[in-house]
Amino acid sequence: MSGKVAIIASNGGLFDAYKVFNIAAAAAASEKEVGIFFTFEGLNLIHKEAHKALPIPEGREHIKEGFEKQNVPGIPEMLETAKDLGVKLFACQMTMDVMGLEKDDFVDGIEVAGAAAFVEYASDANLTLTF
Amino acid sequence: MAIEVDQIVDAKGLSCPMPIVRTKKAVSALQPGQVVEVQATDKGSLADIQAWAKSSGHHYLGTKQDGEVLKHYLRKASEAEEKKELTYPHVIQNDELLKKLETNEKITILDVREPVEYHFGHIPGSLSIPLGELENRLDELNRDHEIFVVCRSGSRSDLACKLLEENGFKHVKNVVQGMIEWNGPLETAE
Repeated sequence: MSGKVAIIASNGGLFDAYKVFNIAAAAAASEKEVGIFFTFEGLNLIHKEAHKALPIPEGREHIKEGFEKQNVPGIPEMLETAKDLGVKLFACQMTMDVMGLEKDDFVDGIEVAGAAAFVEYASDANLTLTF
Repeated sequence: MAIEVDQIVDAKGLSCPMPIVRTKKAVSALQPGQVVEVQATDKGSLADIQAWAKSSGHHYLGTKQDGEVLKHYLRKASEAEEKKELTYPHVIQNDELLKKLETNEKITILDVREPVEYHFGHIPGSLSIPLGELENRLDELNRDHEIFVVCRSGSRSDLACKLLEENGFKHVKNVVQGMIEWNGPLETAE
């Protein structure tokens, strides 16, 4: 029944964002405790501006129509849904420093954490996923 | 046949995982024991709703297809029911009841689950009166007949047996185990 899911998001494309937020929302809706650690390119997924216009892989632009046809929610809505369901969002401090990003550059409600903090969070997770 | 429910969730036109997300929100606001109908056009929702029920502990009752729309039925789990503190002393096991059915004994089986639970599978010939309506529908039962009361787990039927006893019914038995472990014949309302 209950359980804990720990996700690492380390890529910053549109498809990566869907993989991360779909699984996170489904798990949270199924009464799981869910935390996502965003690192490197993955930080785009929670960046205030970048998450609204994530890139589609080159040569795959036509899939955009498929998303619209299937009425798949946009990433901003997916992100809101995840937050609404209590998904915890951790931004990687080290990558933020390297990229010159501040907490204010990200959407509200995130926490800044180091690798050790995520390892601690994930240490009793039933499921750990990397995207 | 229209199925009575406490709430309808419209997830038509939404893709995975939104039907599940909508369902979760709706069920959180329900009272234990209440029933929700989730309308979805996402074909994946058939497997997803069942998996969601399994991991969240709520009861998946069944699905009906209405053109393009899948209608999934779920009942919010009740902690009190799962504890199963049964206090009505006169009980009968599932297999004993099955034997009575097989010998074609003329018996009254009263099913006190919600209409939608009854809809998706009940003991042939059983009478449907949900627990919440029983007090006002006692006239439909014969006080001199032997009555076997059944629900999902034996918990609601325990309450129903006590209600019947208080109202002068003398030959009432609770079917313990209940429909959740019923291996005998089933009938649907279709």
